[in-house]
Amino acid sequence: MDLLSDQGLRLDGRRPDELRNIRCKMGVFNQADGSAYLEQGNTKVLATVYGPHQPRGQARNRAPHDEAFVNCQYSMAVFSTGERKNRPRGDRKSQEMSIHLRQALVSAIRTELYPRSQLDIFVEVLQADGGNYCACVNAATLALVDAGVGMREYAVACSASLANGEIPLVDISHLEESTGGPNLTVASLPISGQVALMEMSQRFHSDHLPKVLERALEGCKDIHRILDDTVRKHVEETGRASGWGQVDRAGIVL
Amino acid sequence: MPTDNRRIQGPEISTPYCVFGSSTENEDEDGCFKSTDPLSSTRKDGRALLEHRKIYMKTGVVSQAKGSAYIELNNTKVICSVFDPREIPNRVEYSQHGELFCVLKFAPFSCTTRRSHQQDAEEKELSLNLKRALEPAVCRHEFPNFQVDIYVLILESDGGSLAASITCAGLALADAHVPMYDLVTAASLGVAGDVLMKDPSEEEEKLCSQHFERSNLNHGLITVSLMGAHTQITQVWQTGSMTTTCVSESLTHLIQSCEETYPIAQRCLVKSVVDTISKKKVPEQS
Amino acid sequence: MVKSTSYLFFFISFGNFLSVYFIFQNDLRNDGRSKQDYRPIELELDIVTHANGSARVRLANTDILVGVKTEIDVPTSNRPEEGKIEFFVDCSANATPEFEGKGGQDLATEIGNYLGSSFASPLSFDLKPLCILKGVQCWKLYVDILILECGGNLFDAVSLAVKAALYNTMVPRVETVAMDGGNVDLQLSGDPFDCWRLDITNIPCLVTLTKIGEHLIVDPTAEEEECSMASLVVAVTESGRINSLCKTSVGSLHPQTLTDALKVGVEVGVGLNKALNEALGREEKRLQSNKPERFGFLK
Repeated sequence: MDLLSDQGLRLDGRRPDELRNIRCKMGVFNQADGSAYLEQGNTKVLATVYGPHQPRGQARNRAPHDEAFVNCQYSMAVFSTGERKNRPRGDRKSQEMSIHLRQALVSAIRTELYPRSQLDIFVEVLQADGGNYCACVNAATLALVDAGVGMREYAVACSASLANGEIPLVDISHLEESTGGPNLTVASLPISGQVALMEMSQRFHSDHLPKVLERALEGCKDIHRILDDTVRKHVEETGRASGWGQVDRAGIVL
Repeated sequence: MPTDNRRIQGPEISTPYCVFGSSTENEDEDGCFKSTDPLSSTRKDGRALLEHRKIYMKTGVVSQAKGSAYIELNNTKVICSVFDPREIPNRVEYSQHGELFCVLKFAPFSCTTRRSHQQDAEEKELSLNLKRALEPAVCRHEFPNFQVDIYVLILESDGGSLAASITCAGLALADAHVPMYDLVTAASLGVAGDVLMKDPSEEEEKLCSQHFERSNLNHGLITVSLMGAHTQITQVWQTGSMTTTCVSESLTHLIQSCEETYPIAQRCLVKSVVDTISKKKVPEQS
Repeated sequence: MVKSTSYLFFFISFGNFLSVYFIFQNDLRNDGRSKQDYRPIELELDIVTHANGSARVRLANTDILVGVKTEIDVPTSNRPEEGKIEFFVDCSANATPEFEGKGGQDLATEIGNYLGSSFASPLSFDLKPLCILKGVQCWKLYVDILILECGGNLFDAVSLAVKAALYNTMVPRVETVAMDGGNVDLQLSGDPFDCWRLDITNIPCLVTLTKIGEHLIVDPTAEEEECSMASLVVAVTESGRINSLCKTSVGSLHPQTLTDALKVGVEVGVGLNKALNEALGREEKRLQSNKPERFGFLK
């Protein structure tokens, strides 16, 4: 099965440089310090942030004295995949995901602002349809913003693939993942253009790497725009409710 | 699921032979309870419907444990040992109340089918019920940050294992000098159709958990544990399907049985105290 | 060593106790509810596409997501004519950091066990229709419960979500069953919409009754749970039968309180079942409309 049809459309009808539909919401839960829900196509992810707070449990000994200890946990609902999963977390794949998630987020969080404290980031995949890692990073970023944690900039992740040996595709779905074909996942800080994490499966010629990477980074930038819009809209909404930015007749901000 | 490699494992898939037994026996059982006048009918072991089995209790059976007890209801035999309070392991936070750590286990040979050495889901459920039944009776504020270990082993199971375990563990706690508000005694009751049976045996329990084809008949099992002196129900656990009136009626019967068991447990404790004192006196006199 | 945080916690809960207690004088609670009022409940069906049936229930701050998956299995040898049902509860760390790792496991098993015992009787949920071929093949229902936020009264919320998800569950229709030597040849219907539904009329709803001081209340908030003396969970069916009963918290009850609680529980439970059925009917209608909107967590 070809990843790209003769008309230049992908299996789900997208163009090569087209992202899946992203819908997101900040502040889903009341009890957490920050939370966000993000849908990227059919991949649905919930993220919550607790903290910064005093280090708890085992982190007590591990927490560094000059910066925050960031604790990530990735879990998948047992009904999230086509075949039922036996356990939601603790398997190798989720442990690896937790580590990667931490890596990407730590590069964006200003950990030096919170010495001797712990920051918990929990993500839960409710429905998996490819690009789980990307959706998790994006949702976690939103949750961190919602929690008011100091960050350098957004951490945004996006995946890319290569079709027909020449055309790079952005934001890979589960169908495209399983059809085979390389999968390059990049977590980046899009404003400064830095790469926080890069992971690849399957092979392609190194000549193709620049353009695939370019496509993935472009995707990151697009996603960044969407996330930023959401944040602005959210702040505007909550702000309006509490009367921020209201101007009196003389034009002075109240 | 981790398995214990030091134990000899049975074959992975096996079926107990009793499943293939003739079904005629089952019909016979049904017949026993469907007699025309249920109140006058006697059960297989010759008891009346609302008659409890005879109880034997003894404390101080395990010498290594701080406190221990043994209880026997015909073929249901349960042994329990209680150990000294110790610090709660792997707990960083301070807890105001002491904790009870209850492990209930069926011995591998206790049932018709072989039980595994590891705790299965049913045993975990029973352990939790046991814990909930004992917690209100123990003065947990007297040992903050500590836990008391309670191990219950069901040596032979013939119905009413949870009730027997609760009574047994209550006795063992008292025997271990753990501060308590009151003794805990428990009783079970089975409902099949309109028939209430006190202290059902394994066979009768099976009958009660099934549902008769005649629709909307009550069926099920109830276990209640009671602090006799304060008339406080510490745990109630019902399964099956019943109407509210049926549950209330069963509760009255159960409380009555618990109250009947209470003096037996008291006497057993008094006897053990008298025994210890008299034993201590003997060397002084000589 | 006693840490200052635990003292602080103690004072907070003590303060709550006072406020809860005082407000009771006017027969109203902190949040203005009477003793037998539930907080607002939101329900949405069919929000996980990978599951055969799913539901999300939000009871004030308690958020539960349930997915039901069907799989083909071999019936147990002592119940050859019945299918299987299994409950798995997962306390997500999203709800509270204490659930991280294995933290929520005790609570999860408690809820799972209790659901299991309230479904045990054939009068609550009949497993016979799930049998495909006696003694050889049956359907196994995996009911997976995900607890996303805890705002008190988990049992009730979970049971509502489970009943709703089972209502929403589509079991594929088996067209033909043939025995080919020792192997079973199953032919599932080719049409993915050719499914049958489970009978949920007798599935019980759990009602938690909490005793605070001398008062019996339903649907306790997390604060109210904190200062309760004992709670009782009753599984009540639509017709008012009690399918399971259990005391869940530390503390004991007087027999009279217990019988009173049962009466209240059954009354409330029947009402709850009725309200749920109505809500399910409305939601079903909405889903069958031309282009139903999926809210999920975006609302």
